[in-house]
Amino acid sequence: MSKSTSRRDFVKRSAAAAAGIFVVPHIIPSSALGMGNRTAPGDRVVIGAIGTGSQGMSNMRDFLQLKDAVQFVAVCDVDSIRLAKAKETVDAANKNTDCRTYEDFREFLEKEKLDAVSIALPDHWHGIIYTEAVNKKLNVYGEKPICRTIKDGQTIVAAVKKNNIIWQTGSWQRSLPNFHKGAELAINGRAGKIKYIEVGLPDGGRGIGTPPVKEIPPELNWEMWLGPAPEVPYRGVSHWDWRWILDYSGGQLTDWAGHHIDIANWGAGLEHTGPVEVSGTGVYPAEGIYNVSVEYDFLCRYANGIEMRVANASRLKLGMGTTWYGDKGWIHTDRGNRLSASDPKILEEVIGENEIHLYKSEDHWQNFIDCVRSGNQTIAPVDVAYRAISVALLGEIAMTTGQTIYWDPEQEEITGNPRASRLLSRPYRQPWTLPTV
Amino acid sequence: MKKQYLIILLAVFLIAFFPSCKKGTVYKTLIITGQSEHNWKASSPVLKQILDGTGMFSSEILITPEKGGDMASFNPDFSKYKLVVLDYSGDSWSEKTNKEFVEYVRNGGGVVIYHGSSISFPDWKEYNEMTGLGGWRDRNEKDGPYVYYRRNELVIDTTAGIAGSHGERHDFEVRTRITDHPITSGLPGRWMHGSDELYQQLRGPAKNMQVLATAFADTAFDGTGRDEPALMVINYGNGRIFHTTLGHADEGGGPAMQCVGFIVTLLRGAEWATMGSVTQEVPFDFPTAAGVVLRPDFKEINFEEAFGNIGSYDIQKSTKYFTWLQSQIRKAAGDEKALLKLEKKMVNILTDKEASVDAKKLLLREISWMGTEYSIPAIKGLADVTELKDDVEFALTRLQVVK
Repeated sequence: MSKSTSRRDFVKRSAAAAAGIFVVPHIIPSSALGMGNRTAPGDRVVIGAIGTGSQGMSNMRDFLQLKDAVQFVAVCDVDSIRLAKAKETVDAANKNTDCRTYEDFREFLEKEKLDAVSIALPDHWHGIIYTEAVNKKLNVYGEKPICRTIKDGQTIVAAVKKNNIIWQTGSWQRSLPNFHKGAELAINGRAGKIKYIEVGLPDGGRGIGTPPVKEIPPELNWEMWLGPAPEVPYRGVSHWDWRWILDYSGGQLTDWAGHHIDIANWGAGLEHTGPVEVSGTGVYPAEGIYNVSVEYDFLCRYANGIEMRVANASRLKLGMGTTWYGDKGWIHTDRGNRLSASDPKILEEVIGENEIHLYKSEDHWQNFIDCVRSGNQTIAPVDVAYRAISVALLGEIAMTTGQTIYWDPEQEEITGNPRASRLLSRPYRQPWTLPTV
Repeated sequence: MKKQYLIILLAVFLIAFFPSCKKGTVYKTLIITGQSEHNWKASSPVLKQILDGTGMFSSEILITPEKGGDMASFNPDFSKYKLVVLDYSGDSWSEKTNKEFVEYVRNGGGVVIYHGSSISFPDWKEYNEMTGLGGWRDRNEKDGPYVYYRRNELVIDTTAGIAGSHGERHDFEVRTRITDHPITSGLPGRWMHGSDELYQQLRGPAKNMQVLATAFADTAFDGTGRDEPALMVINYGNGRIFHTTLGHADEGGGPAMQCVGFIVTLLRGAEWATMGSVTQEVPFDFPTAAGVVLRPDFKEINFEEAFGNIGSYDIQKSTKYFTWLQSQIRKAAGDEKALLKLEKKMVNILTDKEASVDAKKLLLREISWMGTEYSIPAIKGLADVTELKDDVEFALTRLQVVK
């Protein structure tokens, strides 16, 4: 066990897998062994995918693009058409027909012996499936936002900590140079002491009213798609558009929290804490089954006095992205390699040797694989992801209740407001329960 | 004797405390109509209904002589009114009437310029200063610049060209451009407006004018591709003018007038023009970017109506009574009495055998976080209803986690 597997063992095991015998993990993360047990270069991380929709497949392609990084061996989805397509992609990459398929993640987790799993599911499933995967001691590449509720997030974070696995959140903006540079300039005070941050996330879009109940497509296991969410008849909304319904998502706000709020936290040193006070308003459509806020605007106050405003982009002067305002100027960053500042000279500043150098990754998926091999911390660890989505979820609670929410970022609880506290979790529909850690 | 006494007491109580009995002044309003390219016979009663429906305005409709008629006989006493609403585009008024109208506005009178009235009186200088922008009737660069938004910037465009046009009617998005004006404060930044003519290429003196909201004139509907002014405010002397280009009328109003966005901005604009401030709350059903919201009867949902209808909830018909309830819960935040009042109403429906399962499902979801001990027996009483099993458990779990 102390030695990592060789290429030859790998080939042998692949053959065994092809014969239907389940393999043991061939890369033992050094985190499990103690540091220094690096896997020999060239060994592939044996990986599976749960959730093979648009984001799941996008992640799979990103992993497959990496040279000799991963070997996908199994895929899992509740949509048989998507599952077949995922298998096709894996088989094409492996030049065989061996990729195993599962509809039920429990069977997947029970039978597959993997190094890692890439998970991309609707948010309402995150609490259960992330925790189960982590409890199986799998290293996880997990999509943001990592949870639908704060309670789910706390459970996932605790599971990762206890099982000591490698976790990478799909907050890939961290691995792009403009976001890294923006955050590094901000945290090193190039705009002065940071006082205020603005985070612009997308505006909500058009609704669809209430479509009639439809026949469930034969390829979709609707019951399993709903899982812990309330039972509702199928109205043609499942893949992708789940994010406009509160039972599954908090809309653009929670969808994007893992990007621009995460970057805001990174550049302001707020990655390991949360706001102490959150207040604001949401605009909700009066009609239709899409019921997430289409506009939102809330202010978070931190214990160190920093304030962060999170709003749909069209409410903000600089629109989408993250803007750190310091006492000497501002720095703004957004997708499309955007990085600007109140004074262009700020952007030319060099960060000195003794200043803060933020974690550098040039490829988000490679970073995960590297860390699985080395046992090092990834660029987007789970606790940091939890802090990013917490901001959005607390904002959601403030908007739902119409009240200022007081949050204790140490104890991680809402103080003095039992009603708001109830919104920190969502009871699951039987037989589902949030796994214990 | 005792009974009568009680009735009197009850009446006093109701008058004093019933929330829908709005206190305060009623603003006398004059709606002028009678000539227009538009269906003024359809629009003017709707304007009156909308304005008077709030209890804030009391309006009279004044019909001018017909086209070609003796306009000298049209000489209202403007000074009797706090607000004049123009639903008129026809023959010029007499010089005396014009003068008195200008005097009324200069002295602080409120004016609403509605839809087709943007067309009126191309040669009456003061009128055009009051409307800020106008169109048609041979207006062109001599009348002033085009005003519109391009890439989120206000553009004053002096290019020569015609004034006023519109493409085919369609639903379109309105964008709030000035968010801190009393009329637009608290409104969504983007909202869908019911099928309407989208006025574009308006020109005018645009003095002392603010464009509060624009409408995107999509080229797919013969639009200019610009964000065209839809709602404007103008100061003239001591007077305030609210100019809405929205609200093209069909028989009975139609979607442009039934649109909650039209109704509410008209009312807020009317209040601002009258008083310079706005006391009306933004209603829960104000449209958003998600879609058009209509009020076929032009009225706002009230407490009794909402709770009367929630019980027969059918998601296929409408979800509005629930979004209304959610907005009421938010509004009651921090006020235990108000929350308990809502909770009691909700429990009444939970225990009502006639109420639909879907209604109870949604009520249980709301009660799960905002409810108190008061609800628990009613929730437990539903435990045997198979369709509600999950929902009962959901509510009880949440209520009992944090008491």
